[in-house]
Amino acid sequence: MNPLATVFPPNDFALLAVIVGLPLVGAFVNGVFGKRLGKEAVTLMALSSVGLSFLASVATFVALRGARAAEQAPRFVWQGWEWMRVSSRLDGPDVPIAFDLSVDPLSGTMILVITGVGFLIHLYSTKYMEADAGYHRFFAYLNLFVFSMLVLVLGDSLPVLFVGWEGVGLCSYLLIGFWFHEDANAAAGKKAFIANRVGDFGLLVAMGLLVYHCGALDWRGIDAAAHNLLVPKQVWPIGTHVPLASLLPDSAAAWLNAPRYATGATMVGLALLLGAAGKSAQIPLYVWLPDAMAGPTPVSALIHAATMVTAGVYLVCRLSGVFVLTPAAMFAVAFVGALTALFAATIALVQNDIKKVLAYSTVSQLGFMFLGAGVGAFSAGFFHVLTHAFFKACLFLGAGSVIHAMHARIHGTEASQDMRNMGGLRKFMPVTFVTFAAAWAAIVGFPLTSGFFSKDEILFKAFTSSPQAPLGGSMMVGGRSVELFTWPEWAPITLFVMGVAAATMTAFYMTRLIVGTFLGDFRGWTVVPGWKAAHGHGDDAHDEHAHDEHAHDEPGHGAAGREGPEPHESPWQMTLPLVVLGALAVVAGALNAHALFHSHLLDTWLEPVFQGVEKAIVVKENSKALELPLLVPGLLAFAAGVGGAWWAYVARGGEPMRALAERVPGLHQLVYEKWRIDELYEETFLGAVDALAEFAVWFDKWVVDGLLAKLTALLVAGGGAALRLAQTGRTHAYAALMVVGMAGLGWFFTAPHAQAKVEANHDEGRYVVSAAPGLGYRYRWATAEDGSWASDEFGAQAKVELSLEVGTSRTVKLAVENAFGRVEERTLLLERPRPDRSGPGGATTIEINRGADGRLEGQVAPRPIPSGAFPGPLGSALRVPPSFPVPGGGMPAPRGAAPGGPVPAPGVAAPSPGGAR
Amino acid sequence: MSAFGHVLEHYVLVATLIFGIGCVGFLVRRNVLVQLMSIELMLNAVNLALVAYDREQGAGSTGQTFAFFVIAVAAAEVAVGLAIILAFYRLRGTVDGDVADTLRH
Amino acid sequence: MTPGGYFFGVCAVVAVLGALATISARNPIRGAMGLLATIVGIAGMYVQLSAQFLAAIQLIVYAGAVVVLFVFVIMLLGPDAHGADGGKRPGSWARWIAAPLVSVLLLGGAVLLARVSTPQRFRAAPPGHGTIEAVGGDVFGRALVPFELSTALLIVAAVGAIAIARSRATKPSERPASVGATRRLFGGAIHPRDARTVDDEVAR
Repeated sequence: MNPLATVFPPNDFALLAVIVGLPLVGAFVNGVFGKRLGKEAVTLMALSSVGLSFLASVATFVALRGARAAEQAPRFVWQGWEWMRVSSRLDGPDVPIAFDLSVDPLSGTMILVITGVGFLIHLYSTKYMEADAGYHRFFAYLNLFVFSMLVLVLGDSLPVLFVGWEGVGLCSYLLIGFWFHEDANAAAGKKAFIANRVGDFGLLVAMGLLVYHCGALDWRGIDAAAHNLLVPKQVWPIGTHVPLASLLPDSAAAWLNAPRYATGATMVGLALLLGAAGKSAQIPLYVWLPDAMAGPTPVSALIHAATMVTAGVYLVCRLSGVFVLTPAAMFAVAFVGALTALFAATIALVQNDIKKVLAYSTVSQLGFMFLGAGVGAFSAGFFHVLTHAFFKACLFLGAGSVIHAMHARIHGTEASQDMRNMGGLRKFMPVTFVTFAAAWAAIVGFPLTSGFFSKDEILFKAFTSSPQAPLGGSMMVGGRSVELFTWPEWAPITLFVMGVAAATMTAFYMTRLIVGTFLGDFRGWTVVPGWKAAHGHGDDAHDEHAHDEHAHDEPGHGAAGREGPEPHESPWQMTLPLVVLGALAVVAGALNAHALFHSHLLDTWLEPVFQGVEKAIVVKENSKALELPLLVPGLLAFAAGVGGAWWAYVARGGEPMRALAERVPGLHQLVYEKWRIDELYEETFLGAVDALAEFAVWFDKWVVDGLLAKLTALLVAGGGAALRLAQTGRTHAYAALMVVGMAGLGWFFTAPHAQAKVEANHDEGRYVVSAAPGLGYRYRWATAEDGSWASDEFGAQAKVELSLEVGTSRTVKLAVENAFGRVEERTLLLERPRPDRSGPGGATTIEINRGADGRLEGQVAPRPIPSGAFPGPLGSALRVPPSFPVPGGGMPAPRGAAPGGPVPAPGVAAPSPGGAR
Repeated sequence: MSAFGHVLEHYVLVATLIFGIGCVGFLVRRNVLVQLMSIELMLNAVNLALVAYDREQGAGSTGQTFAFFVIAVAAAEVAVGLAIILAFYRLRGTVDGDVADTLRH
Repeated sequence: MTPGGYFFGVCAVVAVLGALATISARNPIRGAMGLLATIVGIAGMYVQLSAQFLAAIQLIVYAGAVVVLFVFVIMLLGPDAHGADGGKRPGSWARWIAAPLVSVLLLGGAVLLARVSTPQRFRAAPPGHGTIEAVGGDVFGRALVPFELSTALLIVAAVGAIAIARSRATKPSERPASVGATRRLFGGAIHPRDARTVDDEVAR
């Protein structure tokens, strides 16, 4: 038994927590105590945490291989804690969301890259950032980034992935704006963050849709319930019809109003694509990545080339089970990728900033990965992720080494990164040159290097395979058959041609880059004015003449001009990562060299992850036979690109390109300014937001401040002005007003209140009317039928009794006189109802009070009794025996009926306007 | 009228009269000194009523205790009130209550 | 008419006449003397009501302290203590409406009293009623907390009186400078954002 498996069983693989936790500890220590710890301790902490994490990742990888060899499922899980529960759709159960980590071949490979390349870049940074005041801050961010990236990759569910997703976004923001003293850097950080937010929106939408459709957010749950995503939903028109469509001609309106359907998978896939496009810098959200080069170069290498930007590709691969259900979303992924590859490559052709070229190259290569994933070749796309991580990290670190060297001479971010100031660095920094050249060979597709194999694999798959529509291409919706999206015939060849064109341009601009940087003469002597010597420059008699406008303006270069510090090779901490990455860039292709060596290591390794995916992909029949012939376009692209660049920049010294630029100056300028996409966004989206803000300001100024505030203030001021008249400030006036109020109260209290209570016994026909007592009250009554007063004088009698015959009524008048001689009268109507058929009526007590509006409360309008049940408003106030026999066989009582059923209509009360005299 | 002076209502009537006089004095006079004296009159009237009702009640001496506290509070009130009058006089040079109308502004 | 009845009658007349003198005297010294008469009259009625302790307190506190305090203040103020009663002032209508209203209200109360009550002679006072022991037992028994609180009140009143009456170096002035402070409120800025510009304009 494998000792590792004993300590870490597959269902409780705590090593994952260690892998994730170590960089977090490093980030915490460096971030909180870094300033006091000193540079050495920070270095130790940062390197050891990532290094140990790397070792643990290797152990995990070995364990995965062991499980694979033992025919077990290569998937280890560490269960953290239940994080929260979210409600799914109304009839579904709650969806638990657990903070679980899991590792399988895909993520196992990713963590090797993250921690391995991460460690090398940490090592590199110890020298690159040596002189920076924010040394500890830098390493805290870098460790935090590694932590977040590991959470992203190892998270067992979308929400946990999202934590890492946001974490890397945050670290990216912090590191792009690392030198935040310059506004441009801070702005670039913000731009990256906001562009990523747009993508995150898509990811959140996808999560919501998955909760709705699948009722799960963890990978296994999503895979298990993926078939639920095939339910078509009407997505258009929203509501029943398009508003104002009736204004259009009938045919257009019918076309607009025709219902459109999309499966849940398509919606999820497109939302995920938006999220992935944000993180992986695809059209239309790629704009942040070139600006992200404002950060320190190791950051560009680690975050914006090797790891974070591949998170989108990782996400697509991870949810391949969802994507294969939707050819429409796959089509979008593939074409977004191909377009991005092509588009970014055109921009990279003309840039002069070494990091900008590499940045657009990264965007372009990410497009290749999306292209691969989009045609269903997930493992090919992931293979390119791997090789790209090696060669692009190497290129960026090499560029960093060059910039580091240039800083010896030129102190200025712009100038030290400008290729026009470089050239001939091969002599000064041989190690950097060799490793850079190795990475260059990989990216341009030099035969047998890693990039050659991975790029060729993607192009091959783009030509031969395409996703197949699920369920035979149609579904029944409401009894009608709805055609699902099918992959068009022209798509493979189009994608292939776009890919080859992008590869050609890649070869061209990368060759231009390496020629401009390392070959020819060093042009940096003349940049700093003080060293621009007046004496003549002799020719250096070099083999190559890499020139551009700059060099040609100068008469020549002489040894005497080389005053001041020279560019120099970097220390071993910087060159060692270069060597390792350069070597990997060359040989990593062996992992999956289908075409020439029939090596399928990576495909086999990833097979458990993508099993079931293959069934949804249609492969052309003769694809095996096409494998070798399809190498030719890739080789031709390499040859054309490199050869063209060599011819243009080495053999002809850049003359042809300059001539071309002069012939089409508008186009050149447009491409040089990155097709002015930033400006376009500025005009449209930012402009719209600005307009909204302007409107809000206007609204605030004129409506809120002007109308509301000023108007309210005016009203209050007017009221105040009116009230001020009453405010004489003389105390006696206030006292006088108080007296007036007291007099009013006194008047109120001196009014008598003629209130009476009736105790009615309908059965016996006895009624007792008692008047409410009061200070100094005297009463007189009129109980006779003619309504005459019993006496002329007021007396002390507060209660009268009278009896009535069945079905008769009597009007009783009461007059109350108080101590001041004021009198109030009240008239009451007593009525004895006919006995109810249903049985004896109960004795009732009815309060009669004067309501707020002067009417008597408790008044009952006489109305026919429907069937025994009497729904009077007084019903519930009457004290009635709880259970009454319902006459007529139990007709359902109307709403509001008295509890207990029928009640005789109580005969009480009549209006009485008898008020105070 | 042998009960004259031994009936609650007589005392209450006297208290009412004195209270009314005090009240009118407070309202009519502008001299703050006299106004303060009027307040004292009213307090005394209330005290008289309290003591009279206490006598009517017979047992216990709650009314007298209450009156005792009223006297204590009245003493404090006079001290502060006269101090305020002095300060007011220093500020305005008069004891005319109508001058004290700063509250209006 | 019993002797007690004569005594009550004299006391009541003295008290009411003293009250009338208090509010009608032009000279506040006379007013103070009227107040003194009222106090003495009421003290007499206290005796009649068998509240001997309160009668003593009444004389000590009111006649001995309060009236003396009034006289001292009147002395301090000198001729200015006469005030400025009389003469037409804006708003003087209020007092001529309020005063009759008060009279009517109290008269109404008296009428009510007369009509609803049946006068009855006091019962014999229980022994010890109104003595120091009786009142003191109450004050230091049930009313202990209010009593202690009243000591605090007296201390605060004494300190406050000193603080208020302490002379300051300010000169008497007819009008304070605070006129118009509130009027600026609505002429100025509503929003803090505008405050600067408004202030700037004011400064200019």
